[in-house]
Amino acid sequence: MLKTWCSSSINLLKSAATVQQQVRTTFVLKRKYDPLLHKTNAKPRKLRAKHFIYELVEDTNVKRRPNLEVVLKTYVEGVGDKGDVVSVRPNFAYNKLLLPGLAVYKTDENVALYTKTEDEKKTVRHSSAFAQRTINIIERFSLAVVMNKDQPWVVEPWHIKASLRKAGIHCPEECITMPEERIEGPDMNKEAKEFYCTITINNLEKARLRCRIHHWSTDPSERLPYVPEFWKIPSEPLFGSENSKELTEKVEEK
Amino acid sequence: MAHATSQGPQLLHGFKRLTRFDKGLGAQLPEAYKKFWREWKLTTPAAVHYVPKTEPFEHDEVTGEVRPVQNVPLPLIDTPESHEGIWGGEAVIKGFQKRHPQKRRVPHFWVPTLRRSVVHSQVLNAYISMVVTDRTIDQIHDCHGFDHYLLKNLACDLRSALALKLKRKILMELKDGCPNLSDNPSERARVLKEFKCYLDSYTPEEIEWYGHTYEEAIRKLQAQIRAENPIVPHKVEFRMKLIEQLRNAGISEASGSHINEKSAKGNDDADIERITKLEAPSSPTSNWLSKINPFGKKQET
Repeated sequence: MLKTWCSSSINLLKSAATVQQQVRTTFVLKRKYDPLLHKTNAKPRKLRAKHFIYELVEDTNVKRRPNLEVVLKTYVEGVGDKGDVVSVRPNFAYNKLLLPGLAVYKTDENVALYTKTEDEKKTVRHSSAFAQRTINIIERFSLAVVMNKDQPWVVEPWHIKASLRKAGIHCPEECITMPEERIEGPDMNKEAKEFYCTITINNLEKARLRCRIHHWSTDPSERLPYVPEFWKIPSEPLFGSENSKELTEKVEEK
Repeated sequence: MAHATSQGPQLLHGFKRLTRFDKGLGAQLPEAYKKFWREWKLTTPAAVHYVPKTEPFEHDEVTGEVRPVQNVPLPLIDTPESHEGIWGGEAVIKGFQKRHPQKRRVPHFWVPTLRRSVVHSQVLNAYISMVVTDRTIDQIHDCHGFDHYLLKNLACDLRSALALKLKRKILMELKDGCPNLSDNPSERARVLKEFKCYLDSYTPEEIEWYGHTYEEAIRKLQAQIRAENPIVPHKVEFRMKLIEQLRNAGISEASGSHINEKSAKGNDDADIERITKLEAPSSPTSNWLSKINPFGKKQET
């Protein structure tokens, strides 16, 4: 079996641009010439050289392996809750679920052993297997809340909603909880300062969103100078209390 | 002629070559090991590298002639490396490829894809890093666990000394009731219940002799024989004999207890003292000479 990788850049002067590398796999072979028949219940005849000429029938390593069904022992982020029977790729199941002891093979005993009891069903800790992923994305974010430089305003949930939509996250207004203090503007003291608002996911999980105020004018001459990659520049908190400082430190640690 | 050979009249059924279990120490190996040997070496393993034909007869493709089907397995090579990992029944195949009908056949080795992975044994309560193939992992999935894979498959299908050794360890562990899991009684009970069924097909002696190579089995047998008849030095043996003879002759020192011996020693010391005292006045030089022990450590001058 030979696989060929071509170099992506086209160079006509280069003569040998390919790398040939042998890929070894599990083989199912077949004899090209069958050996002569032997007496029943006797030893097979001595094989000759031509009986060692083989042809490839099948490569089991190239074949796509079917999914593996496992029963989860605990909640696994991005996979499922305790007692769920999930069908996942075999390598993922083996390396990430079975070997670490997060799941077991699907047998009747295991399904019965790990199904959720009534008490466990009542105390819901996770709304979905993928909620934690959303939380991770939101908490990693530094959202630019673009406000008007000329007209007076107060930051409201719909501002955050619009900013999130501009950043590619669609979030209903009811999920956004604003900080207690009112944020009014335009105020150049608040430019590039951060505050936190809370986003509730599936009415259960809470994620803290870091927002940074930026002033914008429709008149190009009035606009503030462009700051490239503003999210990489550390900024001050809008509410200078210790509590918020601690929070920012926590976020930075994350 | 039959009378002149060790096989006697059995020779009439054809000359029987002596096997490794007919001569030397091999003849003393227990039946338990021979059973394992038959399972390991004399059983035809499951077809891994070829597709066996199931019908008893088939038609010739060209002539349509009916002929019986005889599955002759492909000869496989078990490399030393295959015994250091678990290849799941795969092995190296040595043969030829006919790449072009008008060109000479080309020698070729078909070698399985090997990778290092981790397997988890519930019974041994251990994670083991080893060289495996994809087929091994697939079989572990099919059997629902590494322990099940080892215990369900025959020795000829495991095809690896490491796998056989681990299988013996697992069987021993199950026989002893999983001492590795003693700190977790519920888990231990569950494991014992799950794997109890595999113990039925082995006696304790068979478990002890399971999974050894021939050399290992011979070494184990030698160790057993040595432990049963330990070599006693002649010195000890003859001394015991002499004491026995002295006892029989009725000599008091031989049959006496420790106190008697001590008193006898005391008498000897007294005699020596008396002699030295007698010798002392005769020559002053003998005083220090008598202190020298000619058999003691050599004195440096």
